[in-house]
Amino acid sequence: MISSLEILIPKNLNEALSLLVERKNNCRIIAGGTDVVPGLQQGSNRFANSELLIDINRIPEIKSITQTREKISIGGAETFSDMLQNQIVKEELPLLWKACSTIGSVQIRNRATIAGNFVNNAPCADTVPALLVYNATIEVESLSSKKEISIGEFLTGPYKTKLNKDEIVTRINIPIPSKEFRGDFYKLGRRRAVAISRITLAVLTKTQNHMIDEIRIASGAVTPIGIRFSDLEKLAKGKYADDKFLKLLSQKLGEQILNVTGLRWSSEYKLPVVQQMFYQLLKEIEHG
Amino acid sequence: MNKEFSVVGKPVIREDGLDKVTGRAKFADDYKFPGMLHAVMLRISSAHAKINSIDFSAIENDESLVSIITADDVPGTKKVGMIKNDQPIFCNEKVVTPGDVLAMIVGESEAKLHELVKKIKVDFTPLPLLTDPKKSLETDAVLIHPVEGSNLIIHHPLRKGNVEKGFAESEFVLEQTYSTQLIEHSYLEPEAVVAIPLETSLGVKVIGSIQNPFTTRRFVSEVLNFPLSKVRIQQAHLGGSFGGKDDIMCILSARAAVAAMKINRPVKIRYTREESILESYKRHPYVLNYKVGYNKSGKIQAMKIDILADGGAYASMSPFVTWRTVVQATGPYEIENVHTDVRAVYTNNPYTGAMRGFGSPQPIFAQESLMDEIAVQLNMTPDEIRKVNGYKSGSITATGQKLQNHEVNLLTVLETAEEDTGFRKKWLENKKDKSQLIEYDFSSPIINESQFISPDSLIKKGIGLAVSFRGCSLGAEGTDAASAYISIQNDGSVYLDCGLAENGQGLRTTYSIIAAEVFGISTDQIIYLELDTGTTPDSGPTVASRATLMGGGAVKATAEILRKRLEELIRSEWNLKSDDEIVFQNNQVLITNHQSPITFKDICKLAYQRGISLATIGWYKSPSVGWDEHVGQGDAYFTYVYGCQVAEVRVNIATGEIYVDKVTAVHDAGKVINMLGALGQVYGGVTQGAGYGIFEEVTTDKGFIRELNFDQYTIPTSKDIGEINPIFVEGKDIYGPWGAKSLGEPTLELTAAAISNAVYNAVGKRFFKLPMNLEEVLLSKKLRPEDLKRGSK
Amino acid sequence: MTEIKFIVNGKNVKVAVEPYIRLIDLLREKFDLTGTKEGCGVGECGACTVLMNGRAVNSCLVLAGQIDGNEILTIEGLANHNALHPLQKNFLLHGAIQCGFCTPGMVLSASALLNKNPNPDEEEIKDAIAGNLCRCTGYKQIIEAVKETAKEINSPSKQL
Repeated sequence: MISSLEILIPKNLNEALSLLVERKNNCRIIAGGTDVVPGLQQGSNRFANSELLIDINRIPEIKSITQTREKISIGGAETFSDMLQNQIVKEELPLLWKACSTIGSVQIRNRATIAGNFVNNAPCADTVPALLVYNATIEVESLSSKKEISIGEFLTGPYKTKLNKDEIVTRINIPIPSKEFRGDFYKLGRRRAVAISRITLAVLTKTQNHMIDEIRIASGAVTPIGIRFSDLEKLAKGKYADDKFLKLLSQKLGEQILNVTGLRWSSEYKLPVVQQMFYQLLKEIEHG
Repeated sequence: MNKEFSVVGKPVIREDGLDKVTGRAKFADDYKFPGMLHAVMLRISSAHAKINSIDFSAIENDESLVSIITADDVPGTKKVGMIKNDQPIFCNEKVVTPGDVLAMIVGESEAKLHELVKKIKVDFTPLPLLTDPKKSLETDAVLIHPVEGSNLIIHHPLRKGNVEKGFAESEFVLEQTYSTQLIEHSYLEPEAVVAIPLETSLGVKVIGSIQNPFTTRRFVSEVLNFPLSKVRIQQAHLGGSFGGKDDIMCILSARAAVAAMKINRPVKIRYTREESILESYKRHPYVLNYKVGYNKSGKIQAMKIDILADGGAYASMSPFVTWRTVVQATGPYEIENVHTDVRAVYTNNPYTGAMRGFGSPQPIFAQESLMDEIAVQLNMTPDEIRKVNGYKSGSITATGQKLQNHEVNLLTVLETAEEDTGFRKKWLENKKDKSQLIEYDFSSPIINESQFISPDSLIKKGIGLAVSFRGCSLGAEGTDAASAYISIQNDGSVYLDCGLAENGQGLRTTYSIIAAEVFGISTDQIIYLELDTGTTPDSGPTVASRATLMGGGAVKATAEILRKRLEELIRSEWNLKSDDEIVFQNNQVLITNHQSPITFKDICKLAYQRGISLATIGWYKSPSVGWDEHVGQGDAYFTYVYGCQVAEVRVNIATGEIYVDKVTAVHDAGKVINMLGALGQVYGGVTQGAGYGIFEEVTTDKGFIRELNFDQYTIPTSKDIGEINPIFVEGKDIYGPWGAKSLGEPTLELTAAAISNAVYNAVGKRFFKLPMNLEEVLLSKKLRPEDLKRGSK
Repeated sequence: MTEIKFIVNGKNVKVAVEPYIRLIDLLREKFDLTGTKEGCGVGECGACTVLMNGRAVNSCLVLAGQIDGNEILTIEGLANHNALHPLQKNFLLHGAIQCGFCTPGMVLSASALLNKNPNPDEEEIKDAIAGNLCRCTGYKQIIEAVKETAKEINSPSKQL
């Protein structure tokens, strides 16, 4: 149960960042509240010393989706519903759009935000594999600094990121992928809606006459954090994408996951399934 | 009355629908009273421990605390139970499962109490843990309740014919073991109750999310040491129950009542979802061994069944749940030689009790899997094997009962389902001669090139069926009678009440329809009164799919008493001849040879003027049944219903996902009274049954539950189950209102078994353990996380 | 205590509350709007669904301190005085209600859908209510009721 907390709703970014500096050690950011409120309610240790919640839902700088020639920029406090309704996201970033559509329920998607999905770096964060294959960069601001780093760099370890206590994820910037890329996002859960991910995969490929020009592969929920598989991507570059190779690539993905994750209680199920479903995904992309 | 039905069988809007759809309906937690306090439970993090002492000193002087309630405050019985009194209201000596409550603190702010409760220090000594029911009866097993002398809660034997001789005469013998899991009712409304002290001479009133007010009244009166008449139970709108708000609510009501009487202020207890899942009882996990002897023709000669049920920490309804199992364990098949043993045992696991189905979904999964396996072996189709063995009129059941006085429609429901789905053709088309699932070798987790599944063979289709018979109402469990109260006002409007409590399924609407039909009036003329044990006659519990049959019978009997009075009045008032017919219809009374009809209202007014009482209590008592518990023989139930469900599935052989595309549910529930309600029972029951079949499971680690909320305990959403097609076969019966019988539980009990048989048809591999979740389908086993995460610790 | 101004069921209200209490508690305890139900407290069951600025949200996941200036609609505000919302009427006619505990949230989720998309297909209806668990009905009659309402909305000739 929550026993005592102040909530402030800054109207602009500067105000929010100032609050973070002033109230350094005892404040937390709240956006959708889908993670924070149950955590507070259940007396989770993560919120043990929180005295102030900063609601960032009304900061215009982090609430918009914009497009330039090279990139799409999504405000950190954009909700999944906003992203799903956005034509730019739907057309240019179909994997991210699909990942958003598989998250929670309408009620959750109406509140939960894109930055909120990955700032605590839970292994099952559904947007992460899509952001990884899109080479997304994360814009982070504090009162005194502004930096932009790749999502892969930002996510440092299970439940750990590069975000400092005085910083806010302001924008997620995604270079517009070339039209030659084809790809898909895959999610497996225990039921067909409102399910925690058991496995997520995102793949983007560019092929010419079945020759792999470029492939980007990322997973979530099967590794301690969502990751890109650059070794596999290098291996695949320039290879002829016949059935035999797609199977090999799937086996290699299994090996990589095993290396990164080690054997866990769920490996006996997840390892064969991730190889099979990665193979299915590659075949499906191949056939358009 | 030889007329068509006016309201029976027609779609009728629920009598409580308007309040529910506008948010006005008051559920238990919606009740507030001046001066009301809250109570919060004290538990410890142990599944089995001796309590040495409880130290309240850290909170005793806190201003947020009004009172501490312990076992010492209980004036009457300190241990209660549905059948055995083995469950303490407050566990001051030992805890036997993690949900156990040691004491309760009371104050104005629930939030403050939750902080205070953490400061109470409990000194306890852990005791050896017993979590495997298979070890409960070993000689060195720790005793959960030493006073009982054994961990055996109940043993139901059944002996018919000579099973050894039957096996000897069989051409084939097949032996299989099945298991089913612990599941949670998942009523959407967590438990809530408020106890209000009344004036001294009146005792206490309890309002709550209570399934069975009369059972609750018994518990509260025993615990307070009050006569029954000094305990009034009022049922709030009940947010789902499915058998799950029986003993748990009796106990919570008793705790609230003890506190309210001690402090002399209203006291409310309301549970979070986590507390609800932690403490409330669940469905029994079963281990079922079946040995069956049969001939080439498919005729079953003998069946030997040995079933073990995990009763968990308390007996609760285990003796009755397992009794239904012993009666129905063979399935609806005529078998000359049967030898069955069903046992329920104590463990330190969460306790198990009544849940929709009540000891039938488990054996149906086993026996229907078995029937399909035999069919495949003998090169028969699933419907053929069932036609060879299935009950017909005059068949003798395993308990030696001759099926009579009703249409034995087992084969009718089977044939109806078969025709509607094109079962046999689809089954033969989908049939696989060998398993389509990949056998992975986990010593090398990287799969072979040859094991990759080609996209066009990823999804496999299958169809499967299951049939059942089910005894209606309580049977030989106990006295079976119900009563209703009807009072017709002098303007023709009607008060109706029945001692069977609404559980959300719509029984009050069903009763209103029955009364409306008898009086020939519309249902909006009927006001259904709140059930209050102070004014409503006891009718036993709303369980065993007995509401329409027994309560409906009582309402019809009561309404007919009053209609007879009105008929007599009319006959004398208009000097009718004895063969002149009187018909109650369209809010009017039609009399043969009488020119203009008289309104129902005018007749009622006339009765009032003539001093005729139009209020009465009526009664419906079941015919007697008999049972010899030593051999499990007798007329177990006075009538039966029959059902057949066909499931059509697709299985993803890479992930083990089962998609339930369609379930055709054919049920003979007798006459359908409340059509919208009956359809709702089928849709809801099938959906629950499918969840039971494919993903629901409460798992425990050393007695502690891992899945304490709906993020981890997954029940079907709107997207999980495909089409459901209900078909009613209205068999005739001499009992019940116009032959109406039972539906609520039959709809649930078949689905998991039908899905399992469909999965076999799809992938050529049989599953023996529910649920058929992702891991089970792919690996034929369950995988569990090592740690509890947000579990009950 | 913080003073919060917001609109509930069309009325401007002002209330002094602890900002950390949840919207569901604010509605149930301060405004006696008990049609909003708590089933899980973690945003999984949808029984506490209300509309916030027209969107369905779980009121157990919103804190009072976050709602200043927002517009909240609960089940009590859906009917126009005594005239039922067409969804409410169709829930009744189609037997979409059993125990009724999920009903307020379910109706509100469906109404948010129809406001945004007056002509949803079955998948869209299922998706809109996937966050509203119902243990009684198996959802079928609920889906029928939403479909029928959409049909009525789209044929203006028909009396609502």
